[in-house]
Formats: sequence, C-alpha cells, structure tokens
Amino acid sequence: MVTNITKTVTIYIDDVSYQVPAGANLVDAAKALGNDIPVFCYHPKMSPVGMCRMCLVELGSIEKDRATGEVVLDDKGQPKVRWFPKLQTACTTNVSDGMTVRTNTKQVDQARENVVEFLLTSHPLDCPVCDKGGECPLQNLTMEHGPGKTRMNFADKMHLDKHVPLGDLIFLDEERCIQCARCIRFQDEVAGDDVLAFHERGRSLQIITNSEPGFDSYFSGNTTDICPVGALTTADFRFGARPWELTNVPSICPQCPVGCNTSLSTRLDRDAGGRAIIKRVMPRQNEQVNEIWICDKGRFGHHFSRGADRLQIPMTGNAPASLTRALQVAADKLKAAGSDVAVIAGSSMSNEDLWALKQLANGLGSERLGAWPPTHAGADLVAQVGVGKGTNLSALGKGDAVLIIASDLEEEAPVWRLRINQARKRGAIVVVANARKTQMDEFASETATFEYGEAPKFMADIEASDLGKKLAAANNLIILTGADGLTLVESRALMQSAANFLIKTGHIGKANNGLMSAFPGSNAMGLYYMGFTPEATLDIAQKPPKVLIVAQSDLIADDPSVGEWLTKVETIISLTLFNDALAGLATVALPIQSFAERDGTFVNGERRVQRFYTAQGPIGEATPAWQVAGRIGELLGQGKVKLSAAAVMLDITKSVPAFEGARYKELAHVEPQFPMIQKDVYYGGTAYENTGGLGVQIPTAADQGETLNVGEVFVPETPKVGKGKMLIIPTQVLYNRERTFQSSELMHPRVADPYAEINSADAKRLNINNGDMVEIAIAGASAIRVRAQVDGRAPKGAVILPRHLATNAVPLTATVGSISKVGQAAVVEG
Amino acid sequence: MHILLRGRDISDIYKFDVYTANGGYEGLKKAVSMKPSEVIDLVKASNLRGRGGAGFSAGMKWSFIPQSEPIKYVAVNADESEAGTFKDREILETNPHQLIEGAMICAWAIQATAVYIYLRGEFWDVAHALDERIAEARKAGFVGDNVLGSGWNCNVYTHLGAGAYICGEESALLESLEGKLGQPRVRPPFPAQKGGGLYKEATVVNNVETLTNAPWILVNGPDEYKKIGTEQSSGNKIFCVSGHVNKPGNYELPLGTTFRELLYTHAGGIANGKQIKGILPSGGSGPIMRVNGNDDPILDTKLSYEDMAKAGTILGSASIIVMDETVDMVWVASKAIKFFKHESCGKCTPCREGTFWLDKVVDRILSGKGQESDVDLINNIAKNMSGVTLCALGDFAANPIIHTIKNFPEDFKAHVEKKEVAAEKAAPAKAAPAPRRGKEAAAQAGD
Amino acid sequence: MDLIKGFRTTFKHVLQEPVTIQYPEQEKPFQERFKGRHELKRYDNGLEKCIGCSLCAAACPADAIWVEASENTDEERYSPGERYAKTYEINMLRCIFCGYCEDACPTEAIVLTQEHRLSFTNRRDAIYTKDMLIVPPPEGTEGSPQQVEPGKFNRPIPDMENPK
Repeated sequence: MVTNITKTVTIYIDDVSYQVPAGANLVDAAKALGNDIPVFCYHPKMSPVGMCRMCLVELGSIEKDRATGEVVLDDKGQPKVRWFPKLQTACTTNVSDGMTVRTNTKQVDQARENVVEFLLTSHPLDCPVCDKGGECPLQNLTMEHGPGKTRMNFADKMHLDKHVPLGDLIFLDEERCIQCARCIRFQDEVAGDDVLAFHERGRSLQIITNSEPGFDSYFSGNTTDICPVGALTTADFRFGARPWELTNVPSICPQCPVGCNTSLSTRLDRDAGGRAIIKRVMPRQNEQVNEIWICDKGRFGHHFSRGADRLQIPMTGNAPASLTRALQVAADKLKAAGSDVAVIAGSSMSNEDLWALKQLANGLGSERLGAWPPTHAGADLVAQVGVGKGTNLSALGKGDAVLIIASDLEEEAPVWRLRINQARKRGAIVVVANARKTQMDEFASETATFEYGEAPKFMADIEASDLGKKLAAANNLIILTGADGLTLVESRALMQSAANFLIKTGHIGKANNGLMSAFPGSNAMGLYYMGFTPEATLDIAQKPPKVLIVAQSDLIADDPSVGEWLTKVETIISLTLFNDALAGLATVALPIQSFAERDGTFVNGERRVQRFYTAQGPIGEATPAWQVAGRIGELLGQGKVKLSAAAVMLDITKSVPAFEGARYKELAHVEPQFPMIQKDVYYGGTAYENTGGLGVQIPTAADQGETLNVGEVFVPETPKVGKGKMLIIPTQVLYNRERTFQSSELMHPRVADPYAEINSADAKRLNINNGDMVEIAIAGASAIRVRAQVDGRAPKGAVILPRHLATNAVPLTATVGSISKVGQAAVVEG
Repeated sequence: MHILLRGRDISDIYKFDVYTANGGYEGLKKAVSMKPSEVIDLVKASNLRGRGGAGFSAGMKWSFIPQSEPIKYVAVNADESEAGTFKDREILETNPHQLIEGAMICAWAIQATAVYIYLRGEFWDVAHALDERIAEARKAGFVGDNVLGSGWNCNVYTHLGAGAYICGEESALLESLEGKLGQPRVRPPFPAQKGGGLYKEATVVNNVETLTNAPWILVNGPDEYKKIGTEQSSGNKIFCVSGHVNKPGNYELPLGTTFRELLYTHAGGIANGKQIKGILPSGGSGPIMRVNGNDDPILDTKLSYEDMAKAGTILGSASIIVMDETVDMVWVASKAIKFFKHESCGKCTPCREGTFWLDKVVDRILSGKGQESDVDLINNIAKNMSGVTLCALGDFAANPIIHTIKNFPEDFKAHVEKKEVAAEKAAPAKAAPAPRRGKEAAAQAGD
Repeated sequence: MDLIKGFRTTFKHVLQEPVTIQYPEQEKPFQERFKGRHELKRYDNGLEKCIGCSLCAAACPADAIWVEASENTDEERYSPGERYAKTYEINMLRCIFCGYCEDACPTEAIVLTQEHRLSFTNRRDAIYTKDMLIVPPPEGTEGSPQQVEPGKFNRPIPDMENPK
C-alpha cells in the first residue's frame, strides 16, 4: 500500500484520462483523483473482498490489436472499449493500462441505490439513539445514493439482539450489522489477533468472538472506527455524546513510546461542572507512527486525567496552601539547599516541563537530573544510531528484518507490535529473542532464546551466528530492544552491542535501519535530550541530595527500595498529578496538569517530536509543570517565567541542537497522506484526519554523518543465584494497576489478578500448583503475594513477576529472591 | 448403454475386483502411459463438458493449470445439493471406482499432488464407503505413492462439508475444504491460477459426473465419445427426473434426447393422467419452462447445452422437476426462494438481503394478502439481485421469481385477486409413489 | 361639519363590543398552533418518551437545549430502548419558541404547550430542568425509572406506518 510505485498507467474515468500508479486499487486511485466510489466493506488498509457490492462500476478496457498492439478504433475514430457485460466491483480491481471506468451512468447509480435499499431492509431505524449517527457511512451513503422512500413493510424487518457484549469493551448490535466483515478482517489481517468470526449464514450471519475472554485483543477499539454502521460501540463512549457535539483536539497518547497520534473528543459536561471533558479518544492519522490505529490502553485509559485522585490544590506539609505560598516554600527550601539539589522526572512528562526543570536545577548549580523509571539505558545510543530519518515501519517488507530482543512488545508497545507483524506478513523476517516465552513468539518468523542475563552476550556474539548473518544481509534492519530481565548495566550493554552490530553491518544512518527501544512512558527520548538519565537516578539514590524535586514519578509504587534512601532526603518537592503517597511525604506538593489540559510535546521512540494540544478544562489549581518550575525559578531570580508552552519550546529549539526545526509551527505541519482519511467516514473509518501536525523527526548522529561513540561494552557477570533462591524478573503488562490506568474503571475486568509465572519443574520442586497463592520475598522489600501461574512459559529458575499488578511494589529490575507457597515455609535445599 | 451408471448393468461393480474384471482402471493405466499434455489434448478432443451445471469444457479447464507449479490439486465436487439432483450419489454409491479412476486421470493430466473429494455433509455414509474404495485402489497401486510405477505420488482424500448448498460453488467449496466458512471468493484469481485454488495453489474443480466420464474416454477414445450426443454436447448425461411422473429417477441418456422421450419413453409419462404445466429443467436455480399441456411442442426441445439455451433456459445439472396442472406456481416460487434464503451464504448484500425480502413478500402474496404492486415489487427486487453478486447464487435465487412471473402471470394474478387464498390449498397433489431416491428428490424440490 | 363627522365615529364605537379583556381575570383563548412552554411526554405505561437523542438540541437555532444521555437497564428503565436523557435542560431565556425541537423529535417526546406565563427573577431559574419539564406519570403507573421484564422495551422508536 505504500506508494513508492513509480510506474504509471493511463486509465479513463468517466471519459477523462488520468495517470495513476500501476497496480493501484481502483477505489484508491479514483479517490485520489477526487472520484468517490462508495464502499462499505472495502478498506484501504485491508485486502478487498467484494462483499457489499456498493462499489459497482462499469468497467472495460481499450481494445488492442493482438498482433500489432495498436489501439483499435471504432467508426468515430475513438478507441474501441471492450466492456464487461455486467457491472464490476471497483474494490477488487487493480488499475491497468487502458482501463476504462464509468461511475456516473444511470446503471451505476441504479446499482448503488439498489445496494443501499437492500442494506436498509434489515437495518433498524435507530439513528437517533445510535452512537454512529452523525458520522455513519451508511447514513451518509444513504443520503447520497439511497432511494428516497422505502418499499419494505416494517413488519418484515429482522429483529435481533441489540445488546451483545463481544467482550468487556465492545458491544455488538446484531440488527445494525451489515456483515461487511471489516472487524473480522481487521482482527485477522491487521491486528493479528484472529478473535472474531462469522457464525451461521445468509441473513442469520452474525459476528461472534471465539476467544476467552471475549474479544481478547489489545486493538479491539479500532473495529468501532472502521465499522461502517453503529453495530460495534465501545463501553467507554456508549451514549456519551452525539458526534456533532464533540470538539476534536489533536493529542498524543501518553501511555507508551509509540506516541500514537490521537484525537481527543471533548464536550462540556454537567457532571464536570460544565467544563469540557474527554468523551472519547480516537486515532488520528499519522502514517509514519500509528497509521490510523491505536491500542485499547490509549483509547480507554484516559480516565486518569479526570480521576478522583487528582491533586487539585497545592499542599505544604500535608496542609492545603495557596499556590503562591507553596511556590514560595519550595523556592525557600531550594535556596537554602544551594546546589545540593536533584530532580527526578517521569518518562511521560513533556519536553517543556523537562526543560523548565533542567533550567531550575542548572540555575541552582546542580546537574543531577534523573530519569524515572531507571530501567532502560542507552537512549544516547538511540540518538546516535536510532532508526534513520524517514523511517516508516509500513515500508518494511520482503528482504527486510526486525530483531526484537528482550522485549515483550505486545505488552510494552502494542502498536509497534501490530505494525511489525504486518511487516512480517509482507515478507520481512521478524526475529524474537528473549529468555522467556511471550505472546510475541506468535508474531515471529523466527525465535531465539538465551538464559536470563545473557541478552547482552547473545547480542554481542550474534555476528558469528547464522541468525546474525541473516540479519546482517537484510536490506533493512531494525533492532528493537527491551529490558526484560535486565539490570540497568545489562540494558546498557545490550544497547551497545546492538549499536555495534548495526554499525558493523551498515544498518545505520538511513531510513528503516537502526535502533529502537521500548522505553517506558511516552517521552523517554525527551528525557535523554533534556539531559535526564537513569544513571543519574541511581546516583541520586546512592547520594541523596538535600532537596529532591520529584516530577510526575510514582517512586513509591514503582520501586520497593526507594524507602531506603528517600528518608535521607531532607526536603521533597513533588510535582504531581495525583494525591499519592509521595505527595504525602513531600514538604511541598504542587498539582500539575495532565497531557489533556495543556499544550506540550513528546519525543516518541522513533525520535519524532510530536505536539499535543489543550483539550479539556483545567482541574483545580493544577498548572503545567513547566510553569511550576518556571515560577519557582522566577522566585529564585532565574528570570521571568515563559508565557506559553510555545515559548518554552522556542527556547529549547535555540538551546538543544536536536530540536532545531521543531518549533510549534513546524510540528503542526501536515501533508496529504495515503489513505486519505477525510470527512467521508465510509472510506477509512472514523479515524481523524491529521490537522494537528505530523511532528518532526530528530536526525540521528549517524544520519548526519557525525562520529559515533558507542563506548566500551561492559558485559557484566550473570548474577549468581544462591541455593534455594530464584531470579525474580519484573515484567511489563499493558493492563495493570498503575495509578494512570486505575481510574479507567471499564478496564478493570481486563486487568489480570496479580500473578507470577514459574516453570513447572520449579513448581514441582517447591510444591506449588497452578493457582496457588505464593509469596515472593526479596531483600529490602515487603513480600509480594500473588497467584502462581504454572504454564510452561517461564524458564527454569526464574519467576516472572509483572509489575503494577499486586499492591506491593515489584523491583524495577531483575533481582534475586525466593518464592514459597503461602502457609508453607520456603523449601530450603541443602 | 451406460457409461456412468454401470451399476445398473453390473450390480456389484462397486467392488474392486468386479470393477477391474470389467475393464476398470484401464483408462488410468493408459493415461499414465501417456504424457500429461497428451491426456489433456485427448479430453479436449472428446468435447467433454462439465456436468456440474456450467458446461465448461473439462479439457480446457485442465489445460489452464500452470504445469510449472510444484503443487497442484484436484478437487472433486460431490457437494450435490441442487434441488432435484441425485445423480452423483448414485455414481458414488454404485460405481465409486470409476470416479476414483477419473479423478486420478485428471490428477495425472495436471500432475496433481493430491485429490480431494468434497462431499456434502449428508453423504457421510457414502464418504465412509468411498474411503474403503480408495483404500482398495491404494492397495492396488492406483492411488498413493508411485502410482502404477510411474514415480508420481498422488493421494485421494475425502472431506465432508457441513451441509451448505453454496459449497457446491467451486470457490466456496475450496474455502470450506480449507476449513473456513463456506463463502465464495473474489475472482480473479481463478482456482486454476496460482493464488486462487486450494491453499492458494492451482486447482482443478470438477463435478463427480464429469470425472466419471474420463476413464471411458481414455479407453474408447475421443472420437467414440463424440459420436454420442449432439455436435456441441457430447456424451451421455444423467437426467434426474422427479415430480409428477410415473417413474422418477436417474436416466443416463445421450445428450440431445428430447424431453418427450425422457418423460414418456423412460420416466413413464405424467402421473395420474394429468397435463404438464411446467418444468424446472435445472433444479431450483434454472429458469422455469412453461409447458401448455402434454402436447406442447416445447417438449420436443432437445436436452443439450445449446438447445436449452435456445429455449431460454439452461440444462444445468439436468435435475428435471416436472409439475402438473395442479401445481400453483406461486407456491413453487415461494419454495424456491425459501430454499435460496436458507442457503444464501450472506457474503454479499443483494443475495443476503434480497432472498430474505423476497421470501417475505412472496409469502404475503401466497397467503392472499398481497397486492398487484407486490408482484411488480418482487419482480423488481429479483432483477436488482441478478448480475451484481459475487457468485451465481444471486442470479439463481432471482430466477424462480423472474421466470415464474414471466411464464405464469395468471397464477400470481389469481393470488392477488384473491381467487385462491390459503397456502395449504395451493400445495400440489401428492406425486405418484416413487423409488427411494426419487422420493427424496421430490422432498428436496419441495424444500 | 367636521365635528359631526368626528362624533359619528365615536358614537359608532360606543355601541360596539370592546376588544380589550380583563386579563388576568379573563383569558383569551389561544390559537391551536400557539407555541409556549415545553413538556416532555410519557407513554401510557409511565415510561418517558424522550430517548436522549439530542436531535432537538441539534435543531435548536437558539442553542437553548442541553441533553446528556445515559444507558437504560431493565432494572432501571426510564424510556424504551437503550438510551435515555440523563440531563435535559432548556434555557427559556434563550428559547425562541420556534418549535423546531418538536419537529426534530423522533418519538414525539417534546411538545410545546400553550403555557406562556414564564417569569423568573434570575438567570439560573430560567433553565428548566428535566424534572420541571416532564409531565407527571399517568395515573396508576409508577413513572420512571421502573423495573421491567427483560426484552420487552428494547426498541427506542415506536413502530411506524407501512409505506402505501
């Protein structure tokens, strides 16, 4: 589908000749020429099936003399056209030279009218109560092509179930379904989770889910966008508002490093005091980032922005205070500490916030800027040999390769998983290398395993292996790393080895080649560019400063070991979204605004600087973090606070070379994209046309031909696991109990109960059965109680312990501990 | 002379020994001794046309298979589900080895890697018996590895469908064979092309009866075969006669036999001394013929592909359902549309919605509540359905409406003018007692 | 002469019936088409006709109507079908009584009555909420919400007449 086809052919649509790319789909080609051939079942992102019959056209080809290849002329000297005797579906036709199409004849009009009439015979007159009403392809195409009045007796209509939950998130109205199979095909072809199917036949044909739990896919929400009727609706938006009442604000998903472009549909709400709130999150087209898809976490996980636990007023010493007073207290504390100050900033803070925090710290003479959570190292390597400028995962195909190492991408960056799986379907080699079995194995063309802790070694030695040779020989190679089971040092070593391999094999400095990493949060790369590093965080923990500014980081929930050193910090200044445990500990807690309430920018994992806009009304006295930091700086005499986020960004573009050319105006630049998602919802679905900007990709050092410095690879010794101990591997799951996800109550049934996976051999040895309650003891942390899952996925000697599922914090990185059945002493082996 | 229904001449020819003793597998032996392309040319020369309904040249179909492909398949269409058709069943039950041999000849001609026999779900007993016959042939070296010492490997498998008429359509058959929902595919690519057949490999899909002809052609030569039948329709055809005749059943006769000969000489004439009113020459899907009594010259129409087309109808699978003067044609249309409504796969809009709607309106007319405008309405709906669907079922489903209205307007008029009312009253008189298979066919014809 | 002419007119009118009436003791009947204050109607079984579709708000040229919808359950049913109006407010200061809302309503839920005596002492009071607009439930019914047997009221829009 990527339009890198250079050869063109001549086709005739309604007697006008056009040059179009050879082999293009006729519907797409006509669309590009401004001729809208109506469709219901065809979707530009999926292969055509010709089911709905809406796109019928008159089709013919110019006759050519077989012997001479000359065009045969008729009596009038016009080229003679050989027409098909019947109308043909445009969606199943690819353009070829001399193809002649008529879309405006009486016959075609009649056929369209007939198809609409047929569809309406079974479609209920639900438009007033239907969530799709107002942005409904069937509604629109009925107005355009449908018959003016009905010929059907209303008593003859089908009456079917109108409330069928396909899963916890998606509801099916069987009456409204027009059996176009877009949802089924999306799940199979695009998402790669083949969980929907047709049941029965004829007019009884119905959508069913064949997974347990129902509709078990991280991408289920997308089916509601491409559904050409209101048959599929989301639990989130059901009856939330009429589409025409919504204001759509361009935004960026704050959940993961993919940086999906979203559109926040907002509307005033009486329950929110008459302020605008997010009614739904919709994908916004950015073909380089998320195409027109988003995952369900991004779609349904927005409720934290209006969560009841948002901190609304500043607090000093656990008592409410005015903002001026709180800022003054913070400034006084900082002034008193001199340069013994450090900042820890969360990975979902905007660049503007980070810049302002950096300015504040630098102004006090401190360079201690920590990134949170300190799990993934090597952002500097991504800046050097990251995927080249112009990278588009949709361009990967035959002859290309992707190596996913130490990452459960399905859980860490779902949309990357979706796009890489599509690349595999187009013929790219996708190698998944990990120490444990994950869902990702299903989407791999090849898998490789290594022992826990061996990932850096595996990567360092890959060159000599057959696999390494195959990867080296690929036309394009992307290495996507994670930190599954790695310590920060190991993570760095893995990144270095990966960078070295890419440099050696020449897969750097060009599009679709280079390094990517499934960093936590939406702006881990921004943290790097602003000077925040995970190594600094460890340093802060080692040598706690007098005053620590913690910005948008849930230290206590994320890491059981923070208690050890946090107590040594004299003053904590917390810039926080939530009234959480840390806000309670802090001397000053300052409420900040979430991504939905202010302007800002994130840098995604592909180093694309992307801009989000103010969508919903303010909450309490929360202000943007850049403003909080700026005002404290002002009180400390560091100069006036900037007037707007745009001004902060202007400052960044002038000071940080990487951000040159990333002013707000440039970030808002848009270009026509294929497929053309416009207001005609019937073609691409209700994903939004991108009007907020495509973002700007920061070039890598390799792109610019600068000298690269990977650094000496330090492969640490694999930690020795003592007798009777196990390796505790914290992992990431998409649906968890993080504070930023907890407020989305509709997702609760989809969040797993706390569990830990262990190997069946270990389970047998420790007398643990599947489903037993077990206790995991780790030095320096309170015991974690979870259910044991003995499913043969965990490697021997390891306990796979997802983070943010249990109430007690799970260590940030791999560590050693013991596991025992509750009510039974740990089995100690001699 | 029976070419296909040889079980009528030699009652236990289904047995392997009896079949081989009567010249069985000679055709395959001869084929394997020839080059595959020569076999295709020979079958082409015989003018063997597909017996499933479309009448496409079998040899041509085989020649479309790209020889360079390493994997090719033969799919045998034994999903016999057209109303009033029961010919393949008799072949499968009484002369199975000839089908296996025919399929293997086709497989040799295209150098296929496997043969799949797709049987309708109700044929489970037939399928089990057929499995034993295949095992016998495999044991004797006619099927399986190194067929007849040629070094060519080709196995034969049976597969049962789940009871869907649409799976008789070749691309839906392939979908079903792959284990998917039986729905037709978009063409091109056609089954004979790489990417369009079974598991995306080039595939020949032929009807049981078509392939059963092949051994005879191989043994006796194409010229002998062409002597039978008419110029454009060579060979014998099994005619499945059901309805108001005295002796319903299968009749294997040369193509070009007239209706009169078939119905009076062979099928024993019209039951109960009644007059013929109409004939469905190709089950529920073909256009109905109007017959004005037993002396109507239309009965002299030859049963061949070309003559039937001239008469404005089709030969199809030659399931001839005869209806006498007691039959209400609105009732026939209603039964036919109910059948198609039940069997529409639902993939494309006009057929899925059209059959559903037609059924509602025809029912209304049948129950005497219809108006004159309803007749125009169903005629229009049926016309809107035809020619725009993915497979031919949309056209088939429109046929019973369009052609009954065209040929029997007075029956519809009677209903809307409320001269006749109750649907029960409109049901035809019981047909004459018929042999087992005929009765079943009659039941099929009546939904 | 002119004087006589003038008095003639006066005397002519003395004998005619007066056109003025003693409002508010006396009231003049309205034209049937007069459009006054809105009412939200109910079905005979006490369920609300309004399904919260917001079409009235969309049709309103004065932007006077505010509707927020929510979902019905059989245990707590306000209206037939899946959707009902959780919030229904009309700002009577904005309303121009054009009746477009009535035209737009697919269930004939909102109806303009002949009530014209609307007065408020502050702007807040001019906003008529759903409680004020909805008619009392018919006698013998429990009004809304009510618990109903499952599957009985699953259609939001009443059946329509067949095409002729």
